[in-house]
Amino acid sequence: MSSSTSLQTQKPLAGTRSASAAPYVIAAALLLVFPLVLPSYYLSVLTMILIFGLFAMSLNIIFGHTGLNSLGHGAFFGMAGYITGIAIVTYGIRSFWTSAPLGILGAAITAAVFGIIALRVSGVYFLLVTFALGQLLWSIAEKWYSVTMGRSGFVGIPAPDLGLSLLNLGSPLRYYYFVFVVFAICYYLMSRLHESPFGNALLGIRERESRMRALGYNVWLYKYIAYIVAGMFAGVSGILYAHFNGSIAPSHLGFATSALVMLMVILGGAGTLWGPALGAALIVLIQSLASLVVPARWPMILGILFVIGVMGFRGGIGPHVIKTARRMFSSGSNQS
Amino acid sequence: MEAIRVERLFKSFGGVRATHDVSFRVDAGGRLVIIGPNGAGKSTLFNLLNGQLMPDSGKVFLFGEDVTHLPLHKRAHMGMARSFQLTSLFPELSVLQNMMLALHGLRRSRFNPLRATLSYGSLLDKAEELLSLLDLWSKREDQIRMISYGEQRKLEIALCLASNPRLLLLDEPSAGLTSGERTGVMEMIRNLPAHIAVIIVDHDMDLVFGLANRIIVLHYGQIIAEGTPDEIQADPKVKEVYMGIEEERRHAGAH
Repeated sequence: MSSSTSLQTQKPLAGTRSASAAPYVIAAALLLVFPLVLPSYYLSVLTMILIFGLFAMSLNIIFGHTGLNSLGHGAFFGMAGYITGIAIVTYGIRSFWTSAPLGILGAAITAAVFGIIALRVSGVYFLLVTFALGQLLWSIAEKWYSVTMGRSGFVGIPAPDLGLSLLNLGSPLRYYYFVFVVFAICYYLMSRLHESPFGNALLGIRERESRMRALGYNVWLYKYIAYIVAGMFAGVSGILYAHFNGSIAPSHLGFATSALVMLMVILGGAGTLWGPALGAALIVLIQSLASLVVPARWPMILGILFVIGVMGFRGGIGPHVIKTARRMFSSGSNQS
Repeated sequence: MEAIRVERLFKSFGGVRATHDVSFRVDAGGRLVIIGPNGAGKSTLFNLLNGQLMPDSGKVFLFGEDVTHLPLHKRAHMGMARSFQLTSLFPELSVLQNMMLALHGLRRSRFNPLRATLSYGSLLDKAEELLSLLDLWSKREDQIRMISYGEQRKLEIALCLASNPRLLLLDEPSAGLTSGERTGVMEMIRNLPAHIAVIIVDHDMDLVFGLANRIIVLHYGQIIAEGTPDEIQADPKVKEVYMGIEEERRHAGAH
């Protein structure tokens, strides 16, 4: 139906889904221009949306694409945030070009260690093990006061220092654009991954592990690499968050954050690349509106939202948006 | 040249003997069919050959190498491919994506995280060649669940051929097919390159006697007869076992 045009193109491209650039151009233009006119509160909401959008997309690599139900993804977000913060504040490593790679490396090592433990089991046990590992980090962060500043969180993390006075990220608007650029780069990398043989192999593993083995794929290795890669992207979002918020707290490592990001993925749709980012946008937006209007009711609203999302939009909101958009475009332009 | 050899394989599940002292070999170009009543241990034996299961004792040699403790994917890289009894495709992916997964499977490109799967021109040509043979090229963008069962069964076998295997294990390739589709699958197997060794498990007697140059009869995990199709047809032990099955079938039919 939708692919009727691409079937007529010559061989080498036949088979590719006709991925139009138009939605990306529009989205990018909106995200670039909109902040210029936004009140400062909503600018910060938009910044949060991009940070959590990236975080949710990183979880989607293992949760949506590989089929690994991880309930410990906050561990990598928080770990990278803490390491960056400690590097800058405690050890005086000012340069972003050193502190950020340290954070990402920390997230990668954490994922590499957790992966060895968690990937020994599958299904709901994987969920429980990842959950437990996240909680472990959370309790360490709470108790190890001398390093982490304990329960109330590690504070005093400044804006990133890129080493160029031109690129001073002190103002919220400048930081927003910085986050936008990082988000765009990560989005591009993840979309390449998604289309690649490696990314396709992850989908194959989600669908049927035994067949993938029979076809010559080392399934464990794929899961392990995917887990680490997802952890690194989560680390990037954690670093962005730590700089944005100026702090990072034990709760970011544990269940609360891991469950929230999982809800974003489920609500937005694990089947698509950008669905989870959409889920993140919805949850962050509603969370900030709710905190203005009915501050104490947020958990209840989140619960209701989730039930509606799961019951009303099977497979997430993302795929429904695509279908609606296709219907609108195809009825407007060409046949069927 | 020897393709696969198994020596004294034993496997039991909680006291139930699924494979009991099984030894045989298949040479390049061989067409071995394994038959036997339900529960004879055919699937277990297949899983032992393939590496999905490890034997309690005994050895498996692939092209002369001891692979008894080698995992599935490594055996695949040595040239062993396997189709599954229950169609084992990737249901949410397209026909072409299924084929591309099979084509990348034995190549280094399978680890590439940045280049688009569909940008590998030579693999795409190969996919077109294999899918055209099955009349599936025009349906390449369809998800697996949108194509017919017969088409799925053929694709099931075609995925194995994508890797140019030297040893092919086909688990009930004709299961659930109409007689027309069955002929198509038989034709496909008959046209396989002569140098490939093929081991087939199936119930369909036309297929068994039409394709085999050697037959093994399993009963309660043991080989009770081995020989050419003519020898098997004349074997009194086989008749006995299969008469029993015919009895059972009649009973089952009466229910």
